[in-house]
Amino acid sequence: MTDQNSEELKNEDFDMSIFDDDMDDDIINQVDDHLANVHLQTPERPFKKSLISAPPEDDQVFLLRLFYQRFFPYKTYFNWLNYGLDISKNFTHREFSFTLPSDIYIRYNSFANIDVMKKEIERLQPIKIDIGAVYTVKPKDKKTVNEKVFKPLEKELVFDIDMTDYDEIRTCCSGGDICNKCWTFMTIAIKVIDAALREDFGFKHLLWVYSGRRGVHCWVSDERARKLDNESRKAIVGFLEVIKGGAEVSRKVKLPYILHPSLNRSLEIVKMYFGSLVLGEQEVLDTPESWNKVLDFINDADIKNDLNDQWNESPSRSGIDKWQDLRNELERKKRPDRESVARDLIFQYTYPRLDDKVSVQINHLLKSPFCVHPKTQRVCVPINPEVCEKFDPLAVPTLSKLSEELNTYDAKDHNDSDRKIPDYKKTSLRPYIEIFEKFVNNLIIEKQREKRDDAQTSMEF
Amino acid sequence: MLKQKSTRINRFSAATNRQHQRVFVDNGVEGLPSIYASRLNFYSTPPPAEITIEEFETYALDRLQVLKTLETASLRNRHGPEFKKQVEQALEKHLPLKSNQSQSRNLLEERRKDHISHFVLRLAYCRSEDLRAWFLRQECALFKYRFEQETLDEKKRFVSSLNLSWSIVEQDEKNELLDKLAACTVWKAGKTAQAARDMVRNETYFKVDFEKVPDLINRRAVYIAQGKAYVPMSEQISIVMDEFRAKLSAALEATSKALPRMEEDERLKPILMNVEKQYIGKDYGGTSAAGGTVRASDVDQLIRQHAPLCMSNMHASLRADKHLRHGGRMQYGLFLKAIGLSVEEALIFWRTAFTNHTDDKFQKEYSYNIRHNYGLEGKRVSYSAYNCMKIISGNPPSTGDHHGCPFRHFSQGSLESKLYSERIGTVYVNEIMNLVRDRHYQVACTRFFEVTHSQYGENSKIDTIEHPNQYYEASKRLAKESSENNEEAMDVDR
Repeated sequence: MTDQNSEELKNEDFDMSIFDDDMDDDIINQVDDHLANVHLQTPERPFKKSLISAPPEDDQVFLLRLFYQRFFPYKTYFNWLNYGLDISKNFTHREFSFTLPSDIYIRYNSFANIDVMKKEIERLQPIKIDIGAVYTVKPKDKKTVNEKVFKPLEKELVFDIDMTDYDEIRTCCSGGDICNKCWTFMTIAIKVIDAALREDFGFKHLLWVYSGRRGVHCWVSDERARKLDNESRKAIVGFLEVIKGGAEVSRKVKLPYILHPSLNRSLEIVKMYFGSLVLGEQEVLDTPESWNKVLDFINDADIKNDLNDQWNESPSRSGIDKWQDLRNELERKKRPDRESVARDLIFQYTYPRLDDKVSVQINHLLKSPFCVHPKTQRVCVPINPEVCEKFDPLAVPTLSKLSEELNTYDAKDHNDSDRKIPDYKKTSLRPYIEIFEKFVNNLIIEKQREKRDDAQTSMEF
Repeated sequence: MLKQKSTRINRFSAATNRQHQRVFVDNGVEGLPSIYASRLNFYSTPPPAEITIEEFETYALDRLQVLKTLETASLRNRHGPEFKKQVEQALEKHLPLKSNQSQSRNLLEERRKDHISHFVLRLAYCRSEDLRAWFLRQECALFKYRFEQETLDEKKRFVSSLNLSWSIVEQDEKNELLDKLAACTVWKAGKTAQAARDMVRNETYFKVDFEKVPDLINRRAVYIAQGKAYVPMSEQISIVMDEFRAKLSAALEATSKALPRMEEDERLKPILMNVEKQYIGKDYGGTSAAGGTVRASDVDQLIRQHAPLCMSNMHASLRADKHLRHGGRMQYGLFLKAIGLSVEEALIFWRTAFTNHTDDKFQKEYSYNIRHNYGLEGKRVSYSAYNCMKIISGNPPSTGDHHGCPFRHFSQGSLESKLYSERIGTVYVNEIMNLVRDRHYQVACTRFFEVTHSQYGENSKIDTIEHPNQYYEASKRLAKESSENNEEAMDVDR
């Protein structure tokens, strides 16, 4: 198996763009051939089930092992990807990719059932797991068939929203950092995209997941979504996307005077946050450097000069007042598009920024929920979109925290039944797993309903 | 000429997609069978059983001409009036298809030919992924072109005859959604909301699964709710096109699977095999030009001035190495024959070119072959010069060879440097390289012609090169015309 893998790594014309970019700055694309050939067998560390001696803080390897052994929700995970309780191609023909320490990537893994997968995860201790598409042939058998025969069949419709795409409009942090101030951008993104996917496209089974550090992912798991071809995915992204243009473009939003009903809905959502987030917390109009970016959007030298003079004279003027100045100025100058300009500005500073590469290609790999981010040690937990404004990324449990909580629980005196509850219920991971379970249950219920309906119609006649 | 009947088995229906669509048409034009009520056709059902072998072949070739014209016209002109003119000309000549309004008496004949030729080409082009993709692209373009020509009523009638899985939006629902639908059309109706609402009231809307109209979704051109897109009649073309493409694509796949199992009596197979390799132009062949006017000593200059890249490349190698291998001798030698080099001159030319060989050696090894080309030895067949298709897809050059088509066989780097060495501007080089990357070798060669003959202005725009001698003759003709004009000008001045 390892031979095949290292072969893979040498010969494959690696399209790295299909990997989720979250780890980009961490990992250098170097393959350690020697290590890839080594049969990975780390010795089992013995530990008692009930009392774990407090591990050294930086023993991340141990903590990860603990996580995979005690916390990863294998059964529910299986029920999700299998889309049914009886084993099907949805699971057996699904590609998983593992990232191991020392930057070893292993692609085209597939498993006959969840137990086999669990064993492999526990053996390899991947620091990242990616989920790929369901293929015509079991991915692990890829080398045994003609390449023309190996094709992707289905995959969830996915979205990746990364905070680094907001660097040009956020003033509090940049790069890999996040705080509660800029996290609101993610809240807005979730609300806008979630509403559009449900109301416009009719999708029902959406799993929103924290990416572990600075973004969110969305897994649309409706059957209709999984069967979409690349062209439809591209169309959906085109429909949702509003911000277009690279670094050299100041005005990245140019929408028609009358908005499409979907954008109207999105506008109502983003407007709620513009004042408090953009003008308030992000202080976008508080410094010349920042407010000039806004003025460049308008692309009018007169207006820019006038406002610059005004604002330089009274620098402590509030953001909201300055915004009013801007609107008055547009009014005064009788800009024919003054309504759209102001509205488009709001969009540029709040609307979700998507990474289209991730969504368009059916065979694109995306980090799995319930991975652990190697830099932050936080678990990639699901987010409930209905109350996403309450989600706090800095409060997401880390591996150390989970291990501590488990210790604390087990150290207390419990009766037998309490001790037998699943480990995640003893920790702060519980509410997140419950979101996941609810999501999967809905899928199962729907599937069962379909089966019943089919059975009924076939009996009727 | 005896009319040969094909056998009773309808090969077309054996090879089409098993699920036949019921095609419903209200009886439009009198006298025409219902399947030909419109000149548009989704080609869901195969043509009626009996056609002659002749019809089989000629109809196919005619349609092929049209499709090829479509391809080159669209590559060069995108969608302007130039494009329309070229396509119209080709259609008029090979595949006329008059509308119901035209009152022409040949409607049935024309539509039947259209129907049959499509199906023959389906058989010919289903064999491989590439061929299928090409055929699909051109047929879609042709359908689109024709659909756009129809009147609104004709379009409506045709679309409703297709019986696709769309439902019409009822009045009640439309009223409920009036403002939302209006918001999506306002860019067409002009800025007033009232005008938009009126437009919506008067328009028929269809409810369609959003997957069927990806282009409209991408542009946010239609209202969607719960996965259904509300598409106005005026956007029909988009949906119809997608349906057409989907159907034809599925049919081609089914045909390719059925093809090996088709019963065949060896009359059709050779025709099908060769259809896409058919060169439909002039045959620079055996009988003409052999008794030529070109002398061995003229060759250098003629090649420098008028030869296509493949030939000038071989000529340069011949001069440099004082030798040319067999593939090159064939390709280049026959080219020279076609431009008018007689066998005697040819012998002199090659003898003087192979300076390092002794008379004896030349006599023994090469002169027989040269005479063979002119039909003076062996089976006495005077060979035709190779056309582009043959050069591109035939015997590829290996190490030490210089024959083939530079646009096809040179590496990208070599081709680029060769183009630059011909003193072609960067813009044009990039254009040509892009065409090559998309595998449009002959169009690239044609572009090369245009760029190197730009001094003749508009006249440098010629039809796509299909034969090296065509290139040569076009170049010569331009030079000749230009010098004649100059002479006239001089006369006038005097």
